Amino acid sequence: MSIHWDREAAAHLARRAGFGATPAELDAAVSLGVDAAVDQFVNYDAVDNSALETALQGLTSFTPPATSPVYDLSNIAGVEKWFLHRMVFTRRPLEEKMTYFWNGHFTSGIAKVQGVTLMLNQNKTMRQYAVGRFDDLVVKISQDPAMLIWLDNATSRAGRPNENYARELMELFTLGVDEYTQADVSEVARALTGWTVQGYTQADNYNGATFVDNPAVHDNGVKTILGRTGSWNGYDAIRIILETTDEQGSVSGRFLSKKLWTFFVYHDPPDWIVQELTGVYVSSNRSIRAVVDHIFRMPEFYEAHARKVLVRSPAEYAVALLRQLEAKTDMSTPVNNLVAMGQPLFNPSDAKGPEGDMDWINTGTVFARASMTNTIVTNRGKTGTTIDLAQLLAGKTLTTPTDVVNALGDRLGLADAPLEVRAAWAKYVDSKSDGSRGYWQNTSAQVDQKARGLIHLMLTSADYHLC
Amino acid sequence: MPMDRREFLFRGIGVATVSAMVPRFAVAGARFFEESLAPGLAGRVLVVVELAGGNDGLNTVVPYTDPLYYNTYRKNIGVPAASVLDLDGRLGFNPVMTGLKSLWDANRLAVIEGVSYPNPNLSHFTSRDIWHTADPALAQHRGWLGRYADATMAGNGNPLSGCAISQSLPLTLLADKVVFPSFTSLASYAYATDGGTPSDAANQINGFVAQNSIEHEIATRNDRIEGVSRDAATSAATLKLVTSGYVAKATYPNNSLANALKLCVEIIVGNLGTQILYVTYGGFDNHSAQKAAHDNLLKAVSDSIKAFFDDLDGQGKSSNVLLMTWSEFGRRVQENASLGTDHGTAGAHFVVGNAAVKGIYGPAPALNNLDKNGNLPWQNDFRSYYGTILRDWLKTDADAILGKGYPNLGCVNPFYV
Repeated sequence: MSIHWDREAAAHLARRAGFGATPAELDAAVSLGVDAAVDQFVNYDAVDNSALETALQGLTSFTPPATSPVYDLSNIAGVEKWFLHRMVFTRRPLEEKMTYFWNGHFTSGIAKVQGVTLMLNQNKTMRQYAVGRFDDLVVKISQDPAMLIWLDNATSRAGRPNENYARELMELFTLGVDEYTQADVSEVARALTGWTVQGYTQADNYNGATFVDNPAVHDNGVKTILGRTGSWNGYDAIRIILETTDEQGSVSGRFLSKKLWTFFVYHDPPDWIVQELTGVYVSSNRSIRAVVDHIFRMPEFYEAHARKVLVRSPAEYAVALLRQLEAKTDMSTPVNNLVAMGQPLFNPSDAKGPEGDMDWINTGTVFARASMTNTIVTNRGKTGTTIDLAQLLAGKTLTTPTDVVNALGDRLGLADAPLEVRAAWAKYVDSKSDGSRGYWQNTSAQVDQKARGLIHLMLTSADYHLC
Repeated sequence: MPMDRREFLFRGIGVATVSAMVPRFAVAGARFFEESLAPGLAGRVLVVVELAGGNDGLNTVVPYTDPLYYNTYRKNIGVPAASVLDLDGRLGFNPVMTGLKSLWDANRLAVIEGVSYPNPNLSHFTSRDIWHTADPALAQHRGWLGRYADATMAGNGNPLSGCAISQSLPLTLLADKVVFPSFTSLASYAYATDGGTPSDAANQINGFVAQNSIEHEIATRNDRIEGVSRDAATSAATLKLVTSGYVAKATYPNNSLANALKLCVEIIVGNLGTQILYVTYGGFDNHSAQKAAHDNLLKAVSDSIKAFFDDLDGQGKSSNVLLMTWSEFGRRVQENASLGTDHGTAGAHFVVGNAAVKGIYGPAPALNNLDKNGNLPWQNDFRSYYGTILRDWLKTDADAILGKGYPNLGCVNPFYV
């Protein structure tokens, strides 16, 4: 089996390893070939991203006469805009995609954490360790001030330890729900006592907390964790958890492999895939990059049944359409609509990240997505989020309604939409206000009306909710 | 074989306009909605309130006469005995719950004690799924009220037989043959169109319906997303046509639960034939600094439910409504070092409405009989709780929906009319 590398395959890789591509980006990827295209995503350290960092420097500070930065990082909406901006404008899409993956995996919420800087710093930690060794990431997250507060390890202590973090460390972060007992939860909680924060005070809006390992509240006694007995501390507990095996091999490898495949490819992977990826995890000494790299080079990743079967999350949806429409944006419209679309990015309702898939889709969220896209595509002003119709349609033939559908379908990666859907789009373009046909003429007024309306329809079609 | 709901709504969709998709009873008037309801059920509404995160039953319905509560387990966060609102000389409400206490005093509230299931799961997410599906084995993919909907609502043509006031659709309402809408406000519940060219709005909406009305040979995610999109269009069109003229007749507190319950009243007053309403209120996972946070939550729950029934009374609708609460588990009996509580098992829940039979169902929490993890034993299986509601309020075959029979709790008057 080999990979048939063409524009469709390149678009698929870009949707999954990133957030979707423009026609020009696809042309470049096709000529690179599959191996180099995957390299560019996975070995992203080699890609110069200084333009993004420079732009963000400007957007997060301000110079008179402006009275505030575009992205005010002292409030959580500003952090959301900053993160979305990175996803839209990065030249290292997988770096942001993996950071986004970890944001959903190791959730924390501003409502409880309170310190906006702590949430921002957690996001930076996830980016820094995004594709390194899983061990390092788990330790860094377990010592992350936002996480220590979010799941209460900060107030745990020897005697009556708080079990919140210990449970979710195993259930949600590393092993899965049936791979440990309540006794293991209690023992891991004991081992983690002492990992807490200092400087977490209202005086600086809860932004000053730093990690501290406080021996005075650590339980020095003997613990038995997943069958191994010793005077374990937090490092020991994490190592034991990640090293745990059963008759099928590495438990954390299986858990992470399944989750990564589900995130990047499709749901319910067959056992052989999980086993293959777990093998990579073990042989690479638990390297996240090695597992992800392997996924994008597997022929199975490119199979027809793997394409357009993942439901875009609200953030992925917003980022994809901004990228593909090459929109100018201050990110306010996307961020203002995240909650209604069902994804309070830095304020989840509980410790478990999004279920994804059809959980994103209900009647209310379908309308909320439509509301956001309508705000964007019908913005005829110069502020907020705008699209440039002239640029999007430059050089395109627009003689018939079908031409308009083809031009915008290519732009949005919808060239393969079902015939009936394309017919419905062409009908829309050609419909007068009374619903009768024969409307379309390639005038600037009609382009302004129908091209905007058609983009809105395309973005609210089932095909665009999928990636 | 009866036509399923989608066929009913989308026959000949190629030429349909949105107004043609609206069921005829929505156009003709409310009385036709009764045709969509099962016999004997006319107008009955069940409101489900999920307290997400695991509510601490012991600080909600306080065993204030049990010394173990104060002297051993809740030394720091216990609710002072002198402050509790006594129910029966053994148990009392947290003092912030004056609203629910007045409903108790008016014989409109039942307390179900110790609700859980054998070998309770201490994971939020697993236990929540167990409660949603009424299946500790998690073999059911549909929710318990989804199965009720499939059995009784499929093909009735009403896009608002039930709905969630929520930004997500709870698993409880997941059905195979019925799509329940979910929304948090009626004002924003519509397919947005271009304000710059209002004459094109109908074309845009029709385009949205048309692009979501494709016949797929095999069920795919496209198919499911399109189904939800069509149901969105249909339910929005229905809600738009039925103007209720609702004006609240109670003062609601300012919290998301109150907002959601107020929207429930608006829907009930609108006579849309809605039988199931679902509301989620979160924040109950109080692992640390529990007391102040939990008191605020309980006060919000109590005041909101009281306002909800006051409003229903004012609208002349309270006789048709029963409200029930649930939460994925109670909390650990022993408070932790963070002045909070970890995950536990059994908890207390409420049935509120004129058909509720006032009383406390089940013995007081057995603080002297904890399991090896320090958790309460269960007294009432949650499927008994569900079964009682299904059987005595929704008048349906509870055993069929739950897979077998469970003891009836008696907390709902079976002869209520």
